[in-house]
Amino acid sequence: MTGGKRGLLLAGHGSHLDANSSAPIFAHAARVRARGCYDEVKVAFWKEEPGLSRAFDAFTAEDITVVPVFISSGYFTEEVLPRELGLATVGRTVRYAAPVGAHGALAAVIIQRAREAGAGPADAVAVLGHGTPRNPNSEKNIYAQAERVRTSGAFAEVTTVFLDQEPSMHNVFEMTAATTIVAVPVFVADGWHVGTTIPADLALDGAELRRDGRTLRYARAVGTHELVADVILALAAEAPLWTS
Amino acid sequence: MDELMASHIGAFMLGQLTISLSEDEAVLAGPGPCPIDTEVVATPEAIREWVRIDALGRYRPLSGARTLRPNWHATFATLAALDEAIEAVYPLAQAHIAAWDEGTLRVVGLDEVLARQTGRYRSAASLSQEGRDLASSLLCAGCVRVPVWRRDYPAAGEIPCPEPCSVLVSYCREAVSWEEEHPAPRAIDPLVPFAAFEQPGNALRETYLYLPGVPL
Repeated sequence: MTGGKRGLLLAGHGSHLDANSSAPIFAHAARVRARGCYDEVKVAFWKEEPGLSRAFDAFTAEDITVVPVFISSGYFTEEVLPRELGLATVGRTVRYAAPVGAHGALAAVIIQRAREAGAGPADAVAVLGHGTPRNPNSEKNIYAQAERVRTSGAFAEVTTVFLDQEPSMHNVFEMTAATTIVAVPVFVADGWHVGTTIPADLALDGAELRRDGRTLRYARAVGTHELVADVILALAAEAPLWTS
Repeated sequence: MDELMASHIGAFMLGQLTISLSEDEAVLAGPGPCPIDTEVVATPEAIREWVRIDALGRYRPLSGARTLRPNWHATFATLAALDEAIEAVYPLAQAHIAAWDEGTLRVVGLDEVLARQTGRYRSAASLSQEGRDLASSLLCAGCVRVPVWRRDYPAAGEIPCPEPCSVLVSYCREAVSWEEEHPAPRAIDPLVPFAAFEQPGNALRETYLYLPGVPL
């Protein structure tokens, strides 16, 4: 008899090329598991194993909440995950949460990451998202999080820049006036983009760049922060029943 | 002592792992003649980190690839801890073995998996039947999981694979471009990542392109 058991699935992207891409999701799963709120806590990935399409194979729980550990709402959360997870035919009670990037509590994690990189009340914070010109929904959660950070009043300036769309991260000096700017990458992992392409594109020297008497500092990825486990639990608690 | 473990005393193989159960411990050992060289910390996290990299330091995106590092072991006090470690090495293997033995394993074939792809993987569905057969035979030959989705039949203790993995989908996607563009094979470069199929020198790319009878 398994009635009454509750399961939690963290659904992530993963990677065929980056060994560290899924590490934060395994870490968050371990943190959530340690809280004891769910009888079973498992992970599944689009590009790693266990794969999304087999995500429910090892669950014994009949009531499972899925939390997409993605920043953007859109193609993956609305099309790929429901299809690959087989939500329409799974035959169990499934609750499907909004992605991590959509929850208001993530703004506190962005603020925390900015402060860890040295941002203070007189400084500018650049909320840095991936973005893509191919999907207008990709930017929405980033802009919403930046607005929450701005409303908090924690920093003198808050702006929004992107890796792959306008306004580009290359314009961050022109978009701000503060002497010190802290760029906070709103990404799930310290993976290829956060660890390699963004530092290279910005020509960072270590974790900062100096230009004309001003300094750009670079924070760690928001998604790797341990506080994201709290965001996941909040999303899970609010998750509505899946309806196709 | 774990009573359940005591009732399972013995040794058996699972993929490239050797699992030895005694009255008071379970030893999980990697391939190789000398399973006492390196002791890996007996936590799921440490085991997962250990098996993500092969002996040459390359990332292993295919968990069943026959490229586990040799000569290591980890020792566990309970069967539950051992199960978690096995799950870290071969995700879902135990669930799939149990479901196969019970006759309840849901099996999904390559045609269905390719047909449902969208976005950048939609093109994979246009791969010829010969290309599908070749891609799956090359990739699956190096994997300990037995593709029951291809009607292969696992022997006792082997791990059934119920559905093509995302690595095979990516491989099929690249093979479509090979069928269209007819690139010449290059020498295999062991530094090219396992799943960088678009990159000349990738072992699976060059093997696909080199074999006679390739549908180009």
